[in-house]
Amino acid sequence: MNVIRFSTIIFFAMMLTISGSLAKNADDSIALKGATIHTAVGPPIPNGTLVMAKGKITAVGADVAIPPGTKVIDVSGKTITPGFIDTHSHLGAYLDDVNEMPMPYGPENRGLDALQMDIPGWYEAVKGGTTVVVTGPGSGERMGGQSITIKTFGKDLHKRILKESGELKMAVNARDLTYIPEIHSKFLKAREYLNAWEAYESGGKKGDPPKRDLSLEALAKALTKEEPVRVHALYAHDMMSFCRMKDELGFDLQFIHSDDAFNIAEELARRDVPCICEPLSLHVGVSEEVIRGNVILHEAGVKIALHSDHPVSLQKTFRLSGSLSIRYGLPEEVALKAMTINPAEIARVQDRVGSLEIGKDADVIVFNGPWYELPTRIDMVFVDGVCAYDRLRDEQKTQEAQ
Amino acid sequence: MVALFVLIKKRLSGWVIPFCSIGIVLSLLPVASAHAVEDSVIAIRGGTVLTMAGETIREGTVLIRNSKIAAVGKNIRIPDGAVIVDAAGKYVMPGIVDAMTYYGLRPFKLNADDPVTPQVKVIQAFYPYGKYWHGKGGVEPDTELMQYGITALYIAPGNRQVIGGQGAIVKTFGKNLDDLTLRASAAIDMALGDPPKKPVSENKAPTTRMAVATLIRKNLIQAQEFRAENRRRPKPKRDPALEPLVNMLDKKIPARIEADFVDDIRVALKLAEEFGFHLILDSGVGAYQMKDILAAKNIPVVLGPPSYPYPVDYNVKWLNDLIALTNDYNAKELIEAGVKVAIASFATGEQGIDSGYRGRWLILEAGYVTGFGVSEEDALKAITINPAEILGIADRVGSLEKGKDADVIICDGPPLKLKTWVEHVFIDGKLIYSRDPN
Repeated sequence: MNVIRFSTIIFFAMMLTISGSLAKNADDSIALKGATIHTAVGPPIPNGTLVMAKGKITAVGADVAIPPGTKVIDVSGKTITPGFIDTHSHLGAYLDDVNEMPMPYGPENRGLDALQMDIPGWYEAVKGGTTVVVTGPGSGERMGGQSITIKTFGKDLHKRILKESGELKMAVNARDLTYIPEIHSKFLKAREYLNAWEAYESGGKKGDPPKRDLSLEALAKALTKEEPVRVHALYAHDMMSFCRMKDELGFDLQFIHSDDAFNIAEELARRDVPCICEPLSLHVGVSEEVIRGNVILHEAGVKIALHSDHPVSLQKTFRLSGSLSIRYGLPEEVALKAMTINPAEIARVQDRVGSLEIGKDADVIVFNGPWYELPTRIDMVFVDGVCAYDRLRDEQKTQEAQ
Repeated sequence: MVALFVLIKKRLSGWVIPFCSIGIVLSLLPVASAHAVEDSVIAIRGGTVLTMAGETIREGTVLIRNSKIAAVGKNIRIPDGAVIVDAAGKYVMPGIVDAMTYYGLRPFKLNADDPVTPQVKVIQAFYPYGKYWHGKGGVEPDTELMQYGITALYIAPGNRQVIGGQGAIVKTFGKNLDDLTLRASAAIDMALGDPPKKPVSENKAPTTRMAVATLIRKNLIQAQEFRAENRRRPKPKRDPALEPLVNMLDKKIPARIEADFVDDIRVALKLAEEFGFHLILDSGVGAYQMKDILAAKNIPVVLGPPSYPYPVDYNVKWLNDLIALTNDYNAKELIEAGVKVAIASFATGEQGIDSGYRGRWLILEAGYVTGFGVSEEDALKAITINPAEILGIADRVGSLEKGKDADVIICDGPPLKLKTWVEHVFIDGKLIYSRDPN
């Protein structure tokens, strides 16, 4: 017993020192030279160079002048991609705190309020190349609450947060014909609430303001398109019900666990509704049709993203979701987009992350081979230009600890 | 073959054909030909043969006579009248053996409420006839298993009981249930550590690790006493719960103990020493920390899938502890220390999110672990010959050797590559599955 506990403590202590010593380099500029660079927005750049300074990407391309004083890391023969973005995870949520079951309609609940920072999962995520997660409530309720969009690495929690709320999570898996009408009527109430506040504000704020209602406030944000509505819906007819609700009420709609979406690919493409779809790495068996469904969605013009649903599948092996999609026919570049720029756009953080472009956050993965091949390993991960994971160093430390 | 193909086409009514994939039609072929020909001889010729018995034969031949492998080698004389399968450019290997699953328990649920049920025989819950009240009569191969070349499975009754019962070993296809059952009572399945503990709120033992071990001790002592009394009796008494435990104590069947934390593994070793049973360690997330002892005691380890090595139905409270204990090089370190290692899926037959069976991806897990210091040869052994040896069925399956069952798969590329697919599956010398090229 003591042996493990001690080794665990040593392990954590080391992690702290590693992250501490690495953080000192924050302002130093780094150039990664000689790798095949997949930017997620353009064709691959063979033998390319990527320069990072002050947390941002300052140059990327085949012919890049490296400013003097830059630390150059030779990554010849390796592969570089943007950090992975996982739009649906429960990483860092206290695990029995994701579903407030007695509260089936709780859009006011916020993932941020149940965020746990002192767990090994965050470092595991970085090891697996995931640099941004949208993490929060589960799918136990019809309206689970609001997720948070956060980087997986960094000393300052507040600097790590990209968006404090993020999507508004809903789920209709348990099947009852009354659920969708009830969700609909809550949106109608939110419309009235919104109207009351608008009337109060446009009328010069005379008299008492309308009483605040956190639940309706959250739904109102969806109606004003400040936040997207993200629905966990396994079946196509449920998705269609939400599509029709969107047609009427005009919110931005996204689906997760959208196993059945390929059956309504045209309807989704027409309405510009993105899908965050299976597989969940190798851990949850989904049928061949569902994984091939991603190809159907992509070809119909639906924006797709992959997710881990950590801890249902592990954040650390998120990469394998892309591998499996490629095995079942998704083009390699599309699979990479589905783990980087597409989820960034879905989470509305594409101005900061999701691709390797000048001015964006320097969230970068260095692989020792093609990013999707089964035995490929991640050699380095940079978050905000800081080396958050270095495999050689990590493995040496782990060996010493044993 | 063409004539038979037409014959089957004719036998099926016209409207069925358009919906019939090539795979399904082909799978009917050997069944039909078995009736027509006395001695069926198949020669799989020209492929890279990964025998899993030490050598890889380039452009080799695997000769199948009836249900057995008749010869494997480079210059094999192919008898007249043999059906020739051209495997040039392909890879030929033994069928995959998944050494731990909770597959196919329909409509039974995993894990009885009682923590100790050695009388449970999981084979009684196994339904190999496809979807209920459908099918063509008899055993129906599961396409998902066939697509990934899985030809033999160990099935356990669950991992949330202290003594769950008797696991079974089956082939994934056979003439009938009798034929496809390799072992009806293959091992006693036990679990240590957190999974078998009952929630405190239930107020029912065991709620601690102490009581888990105590329950095992008490039951094994009862079995020892039962055995001693029976030896004295002129006519032995029968007991469906104690008899399998006696078999275990007599080393007729092994004990399979699922344990992850190093301390739980230590308890498993202690129990094996106390009662002198043959132990197989399951899951073993922390086994690398005990590698030298495991090697010295010759205890094999059946590891969980490397991309998610944790027990099914985990308790969230200790998942973080397990993550902290996880070493991606677990398999490599054990193999290097000389421990016999199998990699298994630990997959349940029914998953919540979808109908798919994740256990089918075992070969991809083997590919994944090659990124963590395990050679391709060792990774393939961990899903073929090693599980066969650990389960005691290596005289029948696990490698391509003369005299063994003709459970053979043909892959369209190196088997551990991401984009490789299994093209053909033979079980007992019959072509059960062919991949639909569309």
